[in-house]
Amino acid sequence: MKSRITSFSMILVLALFVTACDSSSSNDDSQEVIAARASDVPSDPIIGIGSDGRPVGANAFSFFSLRTGQIVASTDSASTGWDLGFKGSTIIVNGGTSGPGNGAAQIVDDIFGDVMDAPENGWIQDSADAYAIPTGSGNGWYNYNFATQVLSPIPGRVLLVRTADGRYAKVSMISYYQGAPETPTGDDTARFLTFDYVFQPDGSRKFQ
Amino acid sequence: MSGNTCFIHRFALGATVLFGLSGSVLPEAARAQEAASDSLRNYEMEAVVVTATRSPSVLRDVPVPTRVIPAEQIQARAALRLSDLLAEEPGMVLSHFLGTGIQLQGLDPAYTLILIDGEPVIGRNGGTLDLDRFTITDIASIEVVQGPSSSLYGSEALAGVINIRTRQPQEPFRALVGVRRQTHGTENLTASLEGMMGRYAWRLNADRLQSDGYDLHPEAPGLTGPGYETDTYSSRFDVSLISGLSARINARFATEEQRNVRGFQQEGYAFTFEENEQRSDLSLSPSLIWQAGIGNTWTLRNHLSDYRTESLLSGGIDGREPEYSTFDQGIRKLELQNDQILGTWLLLNTGAGIQREIVEAGRIAGVSRSNRTSWLFSQQQFILSSTIDLTTSFRIDHHSDYGWQLSPKAGFMLKSRETVRFRASVGTGFKAPTFQQLYMDYTNPVAGYSVIGSADASALLSELESSGQIRSVMTDLAAFETVVPESSVSYNLSADTDWGPAVHLHVSGFRNHVRDLIETLPIAIKTNGMQVFSYVNLRRIVTQGLNAEISWRPSASSRLALGYQFLDTRDLDVIEGIDNGEYFGRQNGRDFRLGRSDYGGLFGRSRHTASLQFSADIPHSSADIHIRGALKSRYGFGDQNGNLILDTDQEYVDGHTLWNVTLNQPLSGFAQLQIGLVNALDHINANQIPSLSGRQVFAALTLNTR
Repeated sequence: MKSRITSFSMILVLALFVTACDSSSSNDDSQEVIAARASDVPSDPIIGIGSDGRPVGANAFSFFSLRTGQIVASTDSASTGWDLGFKGSTIIVNGGTSGPGNGAAQIVDDIFGDVMDAPENGWIQDSADAYAIPTGSGNGWYNYNFATQVLSPIPGRVLLVRTADGRYAKVSMISYYQGAPETPTGDDTARFLTFDYVFQPDGSRKFQ
Repeated sequence: MSGNTCFIHRFALGATVLFGLSGSVLPEAARAQEAASDSLRNYEMEAVVVTATRSPSVLRDVPVPTRVIPAEQIQARAALRLSDLLAEEPGMVLSHFLGTGIQLQGLDPAYTLILIDGEPVIGRNGGTLDLDRFTITDIASIEVVQGPSSSLYGSEALAGVINIRTRQPQEPFRALVGVRRQTHGTENLTASLEGMMGRYAWRLNADRLQSDGYDLHPEAPGLTGPGYETDTYSSRFDVSLISGLSARINARFATEEQRNVRGFQQEGYAFTFEENEQRSDLSLSPSLIWQAGIGNTWTLRNHLSDYRTESLLSGGIDGREPEYSTFDQGIRKLELQNDQILGTWLLLNTGAGIQREIVEAGRIAGVSRSNRTSWLFSQQQFILSSTIDLTTSFRIDHHSDYGWQLSPKAGFMLKSRETVRFRASVGTGFKAPTFQQLYMDYTNPVAGYSVIGSADASALLSELESSGQIRSVMTDLAAFETVVPESSVSYNLSADTDWGPAVHLHVSGFRNHVRDLIETLPIAIKTNGMQVFSYVNLRRIVTQGLNAEISWRPSASSRLALGYQFLDTRDLDVIEGIDNGEYFGRQNGRDFRLGRSDYGGLFGRSRHTASLQFSADIPHSSADIHIRGALKSRYGFGDQNGNLILDTDQEYVDGHTLWNVTLNQPLSGFAQLQIGLVNALDHINANQIPSLSGRQVFAALTLNTR
């Protein structure tokens, strides 16, 4: 239990560090569209080897607010202060079985910059059966190469997100590895997510 | 020169004894002896081959493009293993996935049938029959038929057939001992005895090959190429029983042991496992040949074969149980064939057979499974005129799991005397689903995902579902059917011509459409979040290409052969997806839609390959030298950018050329010294081609009673 707390605080420290480096500004009150890159967001990083022999993290989600571009403390996980949760390659939204908000998501295949609006229909919330952003290689946002043991985001795959408070955003995943190397290898440190996103705070479906 | 003639004579005679056909009823063989005696020409063209038509015919006149690597070449080049030897041939590209296989006509090793003396070799792993398993000491010649031959051989003969013909005893007594040493502690000891006594002819071979392995990543645990020890025993026994009736028994037994420490990374953490694998391989092939009349031969062939692997994986994580797994595969085959010459215009080859295949493995549903195939084939070789031959053939297979399969083929040949041959054929090929694809039942103890065979997918999935292990099912289970064989339609065109007695030119083109390729696909998600995979018929691919070869024999002992292949491959579903705008690339963080020109085709295919073979006597000595080079242009290694297809420069392995050199020095009438270099220019690509160990030096001494 003690080691778990330690690892939690480690993530918090990392989170602070990450957000400090983040390019996004904290324009909470502005109604301007936010276009930013979130870099190296810890996604339950490896902290040891579990009893089954697999590398494990603390088995805890990192919670991220698209509005502030910051990590939300896990103590606020039951609030609507976050929009996306990350654990390994799993992404949750703040809605359905995952959180108290109105969050939902859907996936489209298109060029990130060409996605101008969020659609009216097709929104899926997390449920006990499946997450809105499906897990597994090829199903959601990534492909996993068994030969190279590298997880790569699928180019042209855009995650459309409805936030906890019913705003819209689009997300393009960039990397699963620390420092977002151009050509990652199995030696790179995994479970640090980099992604581009556009957040529309005014409640409309327009991304511009 | 007389040596060559003598060789041809014996070769033809060998085939004659083998098939119980006398020279007088087999005009081809007779013509071969005749033709070989009076010219300097490429005597390979006169060799009697048996693979292309399942009956003896002269290479020059077979209806489909066939390549022969004759005993002389095999001996002189001193390749260590079958894979090393084949890699030096034009149009034959080594591919390394769960063993070393040969890519023919741009198709994976799984699509080429491998035979030893006409009988199928079993023990494929992930589709690859590891050609490193075979030493070459008892090989007399290798025949390679390009293009589909499923109309004669059934499953797997889709890209082609490689038939390894073992040495026919041909001397009253012969003993041979060889010893070879090579870099990486590689050692090969070989002994062979043969004799002929009245009605009997026999041969015994023993071969031991061992190696310490090599390490291209000294910083990582274990060896890049593990050490191994292979022992192979083979024998052949021929007897003529009564007039017209003869019998033959071939037997082969091989064992291999391989140990290694393997390290791998998972999400930044390193693990090491100790791996110990033992393989054994036993086959016994008795056959009876009855010469029923002039131009009428019956052959009854029985083939029993067993392949077994045992592997032990231990270490890794403290307290984890070592993982012990076995795989046992057996075939029991019986086949009757009749070869008839009808008049002067028709050769008829008809056969029927039955085969039972059994597999026992921990990863197979029910642990032990078997299936049955029965078949009938017929081939008609029409000699329509002195310049036109037409060959038609078909085969019907019935399999206990996937049902009927019909494989027709037709080809014709235009010839102008001895100098020009033009061949064209259309044929079909198929590859039956493997045991894994049909019956697999495996859950990875570490990662937790499951793979289930398609024959049992519905049953196994409902079993998992009723025990509460399934969260959601992704496919309509009612629509889930047992996979059918992968099948192809292929076109082959070729032209051969002689320019004078010393130059032979060959050009050919091929196109294969393969459909129903079997792929793994996730069909359900388990409650632990991991997927359940099964097999479905999914993709369609096209491979097409052009070959050009020229060989020149400026003198009886020197030869220069150049080969080139252009290869174009594509996945038709990817092409369709690109046309529909469904494939994207990413450059400098920006996504873009891929066009057709961005697509590099199937992974692991070089667009350009070339080969060079050069042999010559060294002036003022009794030595001769053999230099071989094999060039591969860049080829796709694996997806790097998440779209699963080959489209960016980082996804390629750089092109390269490998050179091998052998120097032969006869020491006396009965001893020969061979020294040589393998990978002479020391090409290494440790990350992308771990199978390539760098330059190796060898020396071999052979003592022969002859």
